[in-house]
Amino acid sequence: MFTRPPGPWTRFALVALAVSLTGGAAYGQDTAAKKPMGKSESASPGSAAGEMGQIAGVVTYRADAARPWRYVRYYVQKPKTGELAEALVALRGRSLKQESERPKTVVIDQKLFNFTPEIAAIRVGDSIKFTNSDQSPHNVQTSGEIANFNVNMPADGEHLVKFDRAGGIRLPARVGCVFHSSMRAWIFVFDHPYYAITAADGKFRLENVPPGEYDMELTHPAGSLRWRQKVVVKAGTTTEVNISLSPDQKE
Amino acid sequence: MRSTRASAADSSLETTSVNRRTALRAGISTVAAGLAVLSHPEFVFPDEGAEEEPVPFLNVPRAAPNSLDWETLTEWLTPQDQVFSVQHYGTPEVDAAKFQLEIEGLVERSAKLSLADLKALPAQDVFMTLECSGNGASPGFSGAVYNSRWTGTPLWPLLTKCGVRPSTIEVVFFGHDRKSETLRPGTPRELTVDVPFGRSMSLADVERLQPLVAYARNGEPLEGRNGAPVRLIVPGWYGIANVKWLRRIELRDRRYMGRYMGRDYVTVRGERQGDEVVFVESSVTRMNIKSVIARVTSRSAKEGAALKAYGAVWGDGTPIKTVEVKVDDGPWRPAKLDEKPVEKFSWRFFSIDLGVVPAGKHTLVSRGIDASGRVQPAASDDEIALKKTYWEAYQQWPREIELKS
Repeated sequence: MFTRPPGPWTRFALVALAVSLTGGAAYGQDTAAKKPMGKSESASPGSAAGEMGQIAGVVTYRADAARPWRYVRYYVQKPKTGELAEALVALRGRSLKQESERPKTVVIDQKLFNFTPEIAAIRVGDSIKFTNSDQSPHNVQTSGEIANFNVNMPADGEHLVKFDRAGGIRLPARVGCVFHSSMRAWIFVFDHPYYAITAADGKFRLENVPPGEYDMELTHPAGSLRWRQKVVVKAGTTTEVNISLSPDQKE
Repeated sequence: MRSTRASAADSSLETTSVNRRTALRAGISTVAAGLAVLSHPEFVFPDEGAEEEPVPFLNVPRAAPNSLDWETLTEWLTPQDQVFSVQHYGTPEVDAAKFQLEIEGLVERSAKLSLADLKALPAQDVFMTLECSGNGASPGFSGAVYNSRWTGTPLWPLLTKCGVRPSTIEVVFFGHDRKSETLRPGTPRELTVDVPFGRSMSLADVERLQPLVAYARNGEPLEGRNGAPVRLIVPGWYGIANVKWLRRIELRDRRYMGRYMGRDYVTVRGERQGDEVVFVESSVTRMNIKSVIARVTSRSAKEGAALKAYGAVWGDGTPIKTVEVKVDDGPWRPAKLDEKPVEKFSWRFFSIDLGVVPAGKHTLVSRGIDASGRVQPAASDDEIALKKTYWEAYQQWPREIELKS
């Protein structure tokens, strides 16, 4: 891990939406200048100047033949470099809490007897739309602190669930299909926007993070992998956090 | 009273001595030799070459824990993390220290046997592939099969010792699991009763098949979800007959018609009788001949990608004659059955060199044929197409792949 010192041109990040400090990828979210912070954000550490930071990195998994992960083939496409897909990275901390202004809906499809995607991360107030693309009846059910539902899903069926309770990175809603016990999904509900799920290239990026020190955590529920570390975010800077996992991080 | 810990320790000592005692008789030394090769940590079949690359299936969902992961099938004896469990009346917790197996009904002398009593009786190992009869009914339920070395004491001598009365026709096996069942729901004759889980066998089947009162799997005490401390093992019969959390064995002079004998796990199948299709209902019992391609590999050859397929075949104990594999609409070609391990009621691994297969999408399928001439049917054959129920899902399992040019 290292922190990139702020360059002179990064100060323009507030007004230029499409500036990236690491490799030219466009910002996916509005900057703080464009989107005023809510009441709960005003307590964010170091946010007085309104200048935000970023965290970006790559998650990799190093296999160990003596401790094989049977299902690694679903999540690591290139065993030599080990970029890990479907890992969730998030910050933790009460000071981060902020309400979502534009609730969204994420689709989880029941396709070829899998939940697709298997892992979803949303904010309080967002919804998950379950769909069934298989020509077979399915079901979606979960019970626990985050959500409770148990609904049968005919072929081409749909079920919309709005999530009102946050469990963060440690308490997902574990979703299953009562007819097909190997089908599983995890829904993580956050009360802040500082989370990301890695794609096949293992990359993640957290945007517009108020400067400060945070607990950063990773979970890969299918692989039972967990990781955490303190991270310092500086205004106008991208903190690079590359996360190297192995069976040592198995729960 | 013994503690659970002490029982577990005793069990492992017991099964070790059982292994030595039975090794010569059961030919286990050859099994062990095979396993040494099979348990390669990187999930490679024993004769799979290093240059072989796995070819992913297009129509197979991701595997999950507690079910067989076909694409990494390497171990002839299935590791516990891939063992499925199905329960209909929940998972009861049975205190092994207080456990007593009752043998009651039409016997001269009823019996109550603790776990220690059962372990003090002559021990036997039975190798058996146990499959849920619904396994393969959909792509989402295809890993409910596993192979094990079961250790226990044979039931028949135990019954003989108790003295079977001549009027006995049926042996009923009750579990510790129970539930309230409503019969004829929504009718004036609706009836709700609290019942234990039960399955039965005819006395003749018990004598012929020699079920095992089992307390260990692969040398370890049974896991709670797999029926601890004691379950029934019926060689060659589907999972439902292998009653878990065994509590009471009752000999009766009437057929037992509990839910899982007479209402559920009843196969309804149309049979052609002349020009007529007659539907016949039968309780799920004997396993059917079944084979599955576990994985396909490719290696570079001069003309393109050369494929090899690996899989497993099993049935009700009738010797396996052959397994054949077909690519698309090509001819059935005989696969090579592994010479070992071979046990009567366990699956047998097979492999086949399919040669160069052109780029594009292909369907591979296998079929097992046993010594009695039974051929594993395709889904479109009468045997499966006229079967109107979920259970006994032994149709051929086509695997779809795509080879890049």
